Amino acid sequence: MSDVTGSSQDLADTRPITSRHDPRYEVVMYRHVGVEGAHTLDYYRSHGGYEAARKALTEMSPSQVIDEVKASKLRGRGGAGFPTGVKWSFMPPVDGRQRLLVVNADESEPGSFKDRYIMEDDPHQLIEGMIIGCHAIQATKGMVYIRGEYVKGYERLLGAVREARQAGILGKDVLGSDIEVDITVHRGAGAYICGEETALMNSLEGLRGNPRLKPPFPAQAGVYGLPTTINNVTTMTSVVHIITRGADWFASMGTEDSKGTKLYQISGPVERPGVYELPMGATFRELIYDLAGGPREPAKGFFPGGSSTPPLPWKDEYLDLTMTYDAMAKAGSMLGTGGVIVIPKEKDIVSAMYNVVRFYAHESCGKCTPCREGIATWLPKMYQKLLAGLGTREDLTLMEDMVRNTRGTAFCPLADACAMPVQASFKWFRDEYEYIVDNGRPMYTKSDWWQA
Amino acid sequence: MKVQVNDVHMEFPQGTSVIDAIFAAGYDVPYFCSQEYMSPVGACRMCLARIGAPRKDKQGDWILDEGTGEPKIFYFPNMMATCTTQVMEGMVVDTLSEDVKRVQNGMVEFTLINHPLDCPVCDKGGACELQDRSYEYGTGVSRFEFDKRHQEKHHPLSELITLDRERCIHCKRCVRYFEEVPGDGVLDFIERGGHTYIGTLDPGLPSNFTGNITDICPVGALLDTTSRFRGRNWEYQHTRTTGMDDASGSAILVDGRTGRIERVKAALNPDVNKTWIDDGTRFGHEYVDAPDRLETPLLRVGGELKAVSWEEAAAFIKDRLAGLSGKDLGIAIRADATLEEGVAAKALAEALGTGQLDHAPRPAASVIPAQDPATFTDLATADGILVVGDVTEDVPIADLRIKDAMRGVTPPELMAHGVPIADLRLKEHPVLRRGILTVAAPYRVDLMKHAGQAVTYPVGGEAALFGALTKIAEAGDGQATEERAAEEQAGLDDGERAALGMPYRDAAALVTRLKGAERAVVVYGGFVLATKAAADAAAAFAKAVQAKVMILGPMANSYGLELLNVGPSHERYAYPGMLGEARALILSNLDPAQDPDVRQVLEQKDLLVVHDSFLTETAAMADVVLPARSVFEKDGTTVNLEGRFLGVHAAPVESGESEDFTGLVGALGEALGQRLEGRSVRSARRVLRKRFELDPAELPPAGRLVRPKGRRTARVAIRSQEASEGNLLVTPSMVRVEYLSRNPHLEALTGGPRLRMRSDDAAMQGVAEGDAVKLRVGGVLRRAVVRIDDGLPPGLMLLPCLPDQPVGLARADLTTLAREERELEVAG
Repeated sequence: MSDVTGSSQDLADTRPITSRHDPRYEVVMYRHVGVEGAHTLDYYRSHGGYEAARKALTEMSPSQVIDEVKASKLRGRGGAGFPTGVKWSFMPPVDGRQRLLVVNADESEPGSFKDRYIMEDDPHQLIEGMIIGCHAIQATKGMVYIRGEYVKGYERLLGAVREARQAGILGKDVLGSDIEVDITVHRGAGAYICGEETALMNSLEGLRGNPRLKPPFPAQAGVYGLPTTINNVTTMTSVVHIITRGADWFASMGTEDSKGTKLYQISGPVERPGVYELPMGATFRELIYDLAGGPREPAKGFFPGGSSTPPLPWKDEYLDLTMTYDAMAKAGSMLGTGGVIVIPKEKDIVSAMYNVVRFYAHESCGKCTPCREGIATWLPKMYQKLLAGLGTREDLTLMEDMVRNTRGTAFCPLADACAMPVQASFKWFRDEYEYIVDNGRPMYTKSDWWQA
Repeated sequence: MKVQVNDVHMEFPQGTSVIDAIFAAGYDVPYFCSQEYMSPVGACRMCLARIGAPRKDKQGDWILDEGTGEPKIFYFPNMMATCTTQVMEGMVVDTLSEDVKRVQNGMVEFTLINHPLDCPVCDKGGACELQDRSYEYGTGVSRFEFDKRHQEKHHPLSELITLDRERCIHCKRCVRYFEEVPGDGVLDFIERGGHTYIGTLDPGLPSNFTGNITDICPVGALLDTTSRFRGRNWEYQHTRTTGMDDASGSAILVDGRTGRIERVKAALNPDVNKTWIDDGTRFGHEYVDAPDRLETPLLRVGGELKAVSWEEAAAFIKDRLAGLSGKDLGIAIRADATLEEGVAAKALAEALGTGQLDHAPRPAASVIPAQDPATFTDLATADGILVVGDVTEDVPIADLRIKDAMRGVTPPELMAHGVPIADLRLKEHPVLRRGILTVAAPYRVDLMKHAGQAVTYPVGGEAALFGALTKIAEAGDGQATEERAAEEQAGLDDGERAALGMPYRDAAALVTRLKGAERAVVVYGGFVLATKAAADAAAAFAKAVQAKVMILGPMANSYGLELLNVGPSHERYAYPGMLGEARALILSNLDPAQDPDVRQVLEQKDLLVVHDSFLTETAAMADVVLPARSVFEKDGTTVNLEGRFLGVHAAPVESGESEDFTGLVGALGEALGQRLEGRSVRSARRVLRKRFELDPAELPPAGRLVRPKGRRTARVAIRSQEASEGNLLVTPSMVRVEYLSRNPHLEALTGGPRLRMRSDDAAMQGVAEGDAVKLRVGGVLRRAVVRIDDGLPPGLMLLPCLPDQPVGLARADLTTLAREERELEVAG
């Protein structure tokens, strides 16, 4: 096991690390976020930067890198949680065609903002991860698709890419190897749907950002029909540390199904909202109370992983759950990107869900009927009717029926991403829906929210 | 693969889509976005069904159901779109359960919430897929009580197509059609989500095949402007017939009402045009109901044309002929006449003892390939194609079949329900194999932008081009030809090398490519047929590279009338030579008096009989004018460029006493007291039955391909055009120029036939872009609209053809070029 610097080691303690309170735990990905000048190549190098890439390119074969990442049991950090090493192994044998590594930096999920600070404050970490990833899948080209709204992130990342090129870290014979890697950064133009991998590829090609049929999968036919692997930003940054410290180190953190260190986000009325790096297996309670200082006012629920995940009620039995893929699935929700959003008690749930629904309505790509007509047209209008005080009990039944018809019927998961939270809000907070239709006004009428 | 659809067990080849399995099994699911011959996309979500399949374990054995011992069926967690799902071994498909019905109902409901209730005023009513699916799968009552989205309701996409954006249900058929079929991606979605609408980047739809989107649009969003508000779908009488606009033999459906033709749609012929027709065929029907249609025979009495009966007209003709020898009579019919009309013309000629018989336009060379004629299927599956000419204007459907070949997907096997609804081999954004296509022409033609190799050869240089290419082909095996130094090659002299219109290396590559292809096809039309030398050279080249030949004849039945040998006994009697030779003339649908010199010759005739639908220049000076039926009003038989015999069926059109040429011969025969063969369609068919060993009355809808057996009677050639001299190239045209002024919507696209010239030539002549002009070309007085094209070689102009001014090099008398003041309504 490689050296874990700075902390006292209890060599006899082989229990998995599942809490930030564990003295064995160390923040690795967000070490430099918030530090002035941390985004420069000089800073990065003086803090051990690009050593992992050098090691991977000069001492490990592509399949060895893949095996290491498989052994770490890293699961994709973009929300779907697909095992990264397995995904890399889907690439076909090298056949002369250009191979691509695409990094999904679209980060448009409400409640997610972890990728942002990597790109703003530590872009070289991403570049290093991409170099390792390109080596693993034998791609000579990496492309970052960054959401258009991240202007500072784009400038920092582009600057870092240029620095890397100038220093010979990108280009031919990278870091003393005979590997060639270059990176292009492509800006999105304001579409959440382009965070869906096939819509992202269409957008990269200059087509409408509509999702594609799968199969074929990106590894078989991706950007321009070429073999492509798509990963999230912090999946790539995780790889850097897996190579540095080893798969065993990574797998020493977390639970059986969810390994490693992960960036969790928390927003809403808490004392210290932000991004917190934690080992997987930590509980919501630890994130919300220990790290974020707890809610500033009474809360009634929370989204565990971004607005696409069904909200859960504010109860001990949920707050004490681990923030892992399995635990969330068992609880009837999802881990998603781990972007916790706290719902204060006094925020009317109908108004809160309308806010969420409006987002999906605006972002619907329009390709398929249930999303374009159901999610993007009908559902927001139903919420408007409720909030205008004109709703009826029959309307609630209609909404539930309509939402049920969008579950599993659409072309891509965007419709489900809207429908499932709405269904959960009906399950846990139906009293508020009934109140608003029976009384013509919301149960909680506090109006000094930023978004009413 | 064994598949179970509800209670039906069937087997399907791998790659079959589940929706096709469902329909083949006799069941159905609703769908909007799937379309025959186009990629399946799974966008509308109407075709969802519950699907399950057995799975294999790690050892490769089926996982068995513990209870039954049979392979366990694992159902997919969600309903699956059957159009984008392949059948799997042991798959079970349920389309009837309550769950599926609920989802179908839900999808119908969603589709309808923004759809305007325009049915009472929408042209699609009664033939609308949304109406039908709503009736079959919806609840009939709307739960949506809000304001629907509002968008532009009668946006003219072009002069021919009207778009109602509110009615669009976003199936994307029109977008995919343009991208996948003609390959002109002119239409797309704009905006996203609930605001999505259909639009173009620039005004207009620049493509020869735009009208097909009005066929495939499942709702009334895309409508044929020529038939807008002209009738309700259930009022139309539908007549399936064969288009007679060009030599393709495309299947069309003619919709008529109250004795008028209101609309022409495409009909299905998988072997010819699939489900597509070109815009000239579709929108060029308005002339049939023009107010100045001739409805009765006319006889010149006291210098004026007077309406008379057929009997009177026939009696007059008989009297005039009595004073002449039979062999002084010349008979000419247009090359889109039916075979029956050809029989009638031959019978009349024989009865009167004249050898002055012809059909026109008839090129200098034969339109029937001497060997290895290619079919459209051959073209669509070719792996090496050389096109010489402008196929997109000449026989437009051939352009689409060529693109089929470039797409690389063979025609689908027909299933129990017909053409597969969702052919999973077809993908969106297809990449065309441009490398298999070479397009050569004397000027830039549309198909060149899709071709891997585009060649512009010198005007009139077809014979030299093919001659040079043949020399290369005969020089040695393909491989070596590319590598050896140019000087050693084939012994081409400078002139031959210049004739290639491309570097030697490229010509050698072309030859290699065609020789190496397993299914090579060479396609050529009017420019090559204009001289026997060029046609012989083309045939020789095709033979040298072992390619099949597709010849684009000038008009619909050129092949058939040549096969029937509707031709003169001697070269000097060929049309238009007979106009000078004969003393009496019967001309059907030809208008040679557009040339003032010919008019003078005609004025000397003892008898001039004109059979036409309108009072043309020639008709206006005739002794007798007989009203002719249009191509939509005849029963008959035509033969397309493949040699396929196709039925022509009359639509119910009110056209007074019009007759086709069999009727004319019948009337004349009665007057002469003779029972002539071809005096009626039925009597003509007796001749055809004997001659071709098939029954024209019993032809299947897809027609019958006939390979001519034995020796044909040698065709009498017309004099070859002197091709080397000329400053204007008469070009093939998708729209029929002779009827353009009576097809207002087609005319509005460009303002009239286009006279293309360079800007320096235009400036010298004092004309500018958009000017309406007149000009004598080869004697014929032509009217046109100037279009600047600086891609033309210096001094060359282009003008589309007429039946009396066929494709080829001509001389335009620029001293006669003059601007005209005309009211022109041109599209933007």
